[in-house]
Amino acid sequence: MLEKLKAIRSAAFARLEEADSMQKLNDIRAEILGKKCELSQLLRSMGQLAPEERPKAGAAVNAVRQEIEARFEEMRAIIQKKEKEAALLNEKIDVTMPGKRLPSGGLHPINIVRNDIVDIFTRMGYDIVDGPEIETDYYNFQALNLPLDHPARDMQDTFYITKNLLLRTQTSAAQIRTMEKQKPPIKILSPGRVFRADEVDATHSPVFHQCEGLVVGKGITMCDLKGALDLFAKGMFGPKTRTRFRPSFFPFTEPSVEVDVSCSLCDGKGCRVCKGAGWIEILGAGMVNPKVLAGCGIDPEEYSGFAFGIGLERVALLRYGISDMRLMFENDVRFLNQFR
Amino acid sequence: MKVSLNCLKQYVDINIPTNDFLDKMVMLGLEIEECVDLSEKMKNVVVGRVEKMERHPDSDHLWICQVNVGKETIQIVTGAQNVFEGALVPVALHDSLLPNGTKIKRGKLRGVESNGMLCSGEELTVDDSVYPGAEVNGILILTNGEAIGTDMRSVIGFDDVIVDFKATANRPDCLSLNGIAREAAVALGQKVTYPSSEYTTAGGSIENMLSVEVKAPDLCRRYMARAVRNVRIAPSPEWVRKTLNASGIRAINNIVDITNLVMLEFGQPMHAFDYRDIGGAHICVRRAEEGEKLTTLDGKEHVLNAETLVIADSERAIGLAGIMGGENSEIKDDTTTVVFESANFKRDNIRRTARALGIRTESSARFERGIDIQTAQMALDRAVALVCQLGAGEVVNDTINVQASPYEERVVTVDSRRVNALLGLDVPIRTMLSILNGLEIKTTEQDGVLTCRIPHYRDDIEGTADIAEEILRVYGYDNIHPTEMKAVLKPGMKTPGVLLKENASAALASLGFNEAVTYSFIPKKAFDLLCLEEDSDLRRAVEIMNPLGEDYSVMRTTMAHNMLTVLALNINRKNPSGRFFAVENVYLPKQLPPTEQPLEKPIACLGAYGEGEDFFTMKGAIEDFALKMGIHAQLKFEAGGRPYLHDGRRAVISVNKMKIGLIGEVHPDVAANYQITGRAYLAELDLEAAAAAADHAFAVKPLPKYPAVKRDIAVTVDKEVPVGELIDQIRAGGKEILERCELFDVYEGAQVLIGKKSAAFALTFRASDRTLTDDEVAAAFDRIVRALDRNCGAKLR
Repeated sequence: MLEKLKAIRSAAFARLEEADSMQKLNDIRAEILGKKCELSQLLRSMGQLAPEERPKAGAAVNAVRQEIEARFEEMRAIIQKKEKEAALLNEKIDVTMPGKRLPSGGLHPINIVRNDIVDIFTRMGYDIVDGPEIETDYYNFQALNLPLDHPARDMQDTFYITKNLLLRTQTSAAQIRTMEKQKPPIKILSPGRVFRADEVDATHSPVFHQCEGLVVGKGITMCDLKGALDLFAKGMFGPKTRTRFRPSFFPFTEPSVEVDVSCSLCDGKGCRVCKGAGWIEILGAGMVNPKVLAGCGIDPEEYSGFAFGIGLERVALLRYGISDMRLMFENDVRFLNQFR
Repeated sequence: MKVSLNCLKQYVDINIPTNDFLDKMVMLGLEIEECVDLSEKMKNVVVGRVEKMERHPDSDHLWICQVNVGKETIQIVTGAQNVFEGALVPVALHDSLLPNGTKIKRGKLRGVESNGMLCSGEELTVDDSVYPGAEVNGILILTNGEAIGTDMRSVIGFDDVIVDFKATANRPDCLSLNGIAREAAVALGQKVTYPSSEYTTAGGSIENMLSVEVKAPDLCRRYMARAVRNVRIAPSPEWVRKTLNASGIRAINNIVDITNLVMLEFGQPMHAFDYRDIGGAHICVRRAEEGEKLTTLDGKEHVLNAETLVIADSERAIGLAGIMGGENSEIKDDTTTVVFESANFKRDNIRRTARALGIRTESSARFERGIDIQTAQMALDRAVALVCQLGAGEVVNDTINVQASPYEERVVTVDSRRVNALLGLDVPIRTMLSILNGLEIKTTEQDGVLTCRIPHYRDDIEGTADIAEEILRVYGYDNIHPTEMKAVLKPGMKTPGVLLKENASAALASLGFNEAVTYSFIPKKAFDLLCLEEDSDLRRAVEIMNPLGEDYSVMRTTMAHNMLTVLALNINRKNPSGRFFAVENVYLPKQLPPTEQPLEKPIACLGAYGEGEDFFTMKGAIEDFALKMGIHAQLKFEAGGRPYLHDGRRAVISVNKMKIGLIGEVHPDVAANYQITGRAYLAELDLEAAAAAADHAFAVKPLPKYPAVKRDIAVTVDKEVPVGELIDQIRAGGKEILERCELFDVYEGAQVLIGKKSAAFALTFRASDRTLTDDEVAAAFDRIVRALDRNCGAKLR
């Protein structure tokens, strides 16, 4: 009988080995472990054995049965795994096919630059103010120390609506309005649209945008101006950026300076962007002219302040390597799409 | 102002490399527009003497010349016919460079070797004013006995660097050699050597020759005149011609050149009249008669008005004050007596006249910037000194001087502590004193207070800030070190207007729209392109007095033109689709012509075209945008709108009964006007009106705890009844337990009667505090059916 059990076991193992799908495996199981299988017949024929041999023989049959069952379970796990793998492989896709994109828009580069500048100064505690784009002569010129006979007030530079109304040529007008309303300390930034009668070309546009800053308080110094612009430059162009003052003239400020920042592309060594100079002229600034303070009812003996103005187009041109200003006002979707 | 460094070297000793010198000048406040090293433009051109000439064997016009160039004698073939044996000529040697960019190498001309080229004046870019005879047709024949082998650069002034200095608006004194020399002296730590103004007079008196009357003292603060007799008109000497030429002024003759040279030296424009032409021996400075005519030196006739200041004799105008002299009194070859004018005219009057007449001269440019009153005298002295030096005539005694008020020296007192407080520095008083005195601002100090006597040419220095700037520009801007302000800690705030625009732009960008930035002015014809009614309120636009052209002539009252232009550009460039927005202002006048600032209204304008875009994608975008802007109330879309929108596909958008904008498909006629092919969509929202509808008290609704019941309803109704009205009736009938109502089908065709349509909605009922019973839902459904029937004539299908 043991001989027979051995033969049944090895036959069953061989049969199981033949299975290559779950369907077949289950068929084989019915065949080798079902009611009509040899093992069952063997069990049934145990009545012929002597009673004392029966438990031993029964145990032997059951042991073989369990071995076969165990083997069946092993085979099932293997085949199931194979079938799952085959099914996944069947669903294989070409991962290099293009992605399906949801529509996404974006801000205009001029306003990306504006938002970045506004962010930096808001964090530094500046209030952001706006003002009218159509201004009076007083706010655009006279209050900024540009009296009626000043050469900088040419008809060529300014768009006029009437003798007294004009399209503002700088956002400083908004600062005058703030100084008239608010007592120092004042710490404001006025972003906005300005106009000059320049013919359209690669570097000029009759419409452009500025951010102008103004700080008025007790004991404000030119070193504070440098400190503020230094922080701004580092925030805008990277922590290694340095700033440099060069003398200049603006009616609104005295002393006045042009401010250069070290070229962030070459770290001041000289490259295409900075035209080999290592420095890029980025804004104009200075200490608020005492006449301007006095005109707004702020005593220049008691208060001092500084002001600065940044051209947003210029920063955008530099930052994004845009070679022609006209691109920014055409609004070709292929251009705009690059700013997402 | 263009300045020859050779010329500047006569005032100061530039003893450092040119670039270092220019850097120092920049750090003092002068900008460098351009710096041209002329010696780089011409190389290997020397003075040579033609020793021998013979005909070219194979040519009837070429000459073979043996030319002595100093170290050797070389053979050169020339086609010029004015060369002769013994002539001194400019010779371009092998491997030479001419100022016009030509490079010369040895070669053969019709088989005969030629080792260079003889040069014409034109090839050397010089004319008669630089070297008399340079304009001859042929080779420039040198007539000043130049030594053979001399570098031609020194002969024609190319051994020089020409620097174009740009003076800032507050420094009109730097539009002169004197002014630039003063700055250079400070940069170099030297003293200026000024040109001599010494002269001798020959008797007589101008008082007996001429009378001067200033009838417009408001426009002419000072008028000075001197006379010169026995004038011999001749070309000026070389140094005068070179100086003028370097600054871009053409030499004419000694008298005219003197006036121009003095203008360059002192910044004071001058004029010379032929005494014979001053009628009545009387000069009158007056406003022109309305319509009075004057032909200026350039031969152009001008019609003047009462704003124009003229120099007149007893009868007629003989010069445009401060701008250009009259042809009727110009210096001629046979002029024998000259009157020099040195005057001071009001800057804005000169500016306006020059602008109005379209003339800009070296003279007007200087008067426009402002000239001090003292320089007139100094310039006149220098002019007559030059007359003596050049032997141009005899100076008549005495000067005529008509002056409204005497010059008063300005004295400014400044506390040195306030200077340091403004700069944030600690500049010692003795340093301040030495800087200011170095700038010719004579300064003394007592108890820390500086008393500064301001030179006559520095009208810009008025107070502490100006003195601080003078000190700083010499002390050095690099000494300004960054400091952090001590201030009350406070977060930066944004005004509502700034925030509104920022938020709107961010919201629209997140909805898949690209931001456009457009001009605020549009063409006047845009209103026609938009097919606006003749009496449309949008045609009431603010006009620009001096626009760049018709295309930029009026301030927009609608964003439609700008957006359609953006769509058209993209369509014409074959970009398949685009979604754009702009958040910008329109300008609505309160009255026309405007007497006060117009209303500036921020508008969010959307535009879209291309596959997948239709009225409802635009409407969906507006609905999403409204939510993002905090508008939770229902938007209402009612058919209607402006004529640039499709009559059957446009709507007025309102919320809480307030109109906030427009939406629609672009009208085909308007699309055609803008060359827009295919359908395009537009929406405009008044941002401030929209913001007013925002619900700031918004709070989150709790998630539902009880189950929803879903029912569908389909009705047939007249085709004309808008779905919006059906939805309104469903909402009204469903009351508070109707949670959602969604349209899922609209059908017109064979299955319904002609003139009818079928509409199907998915309804969701739910109560927030209980599970709804079937009876409750059935009752609500019945109410809905009745409401639809009663108010819309809609029947259940």
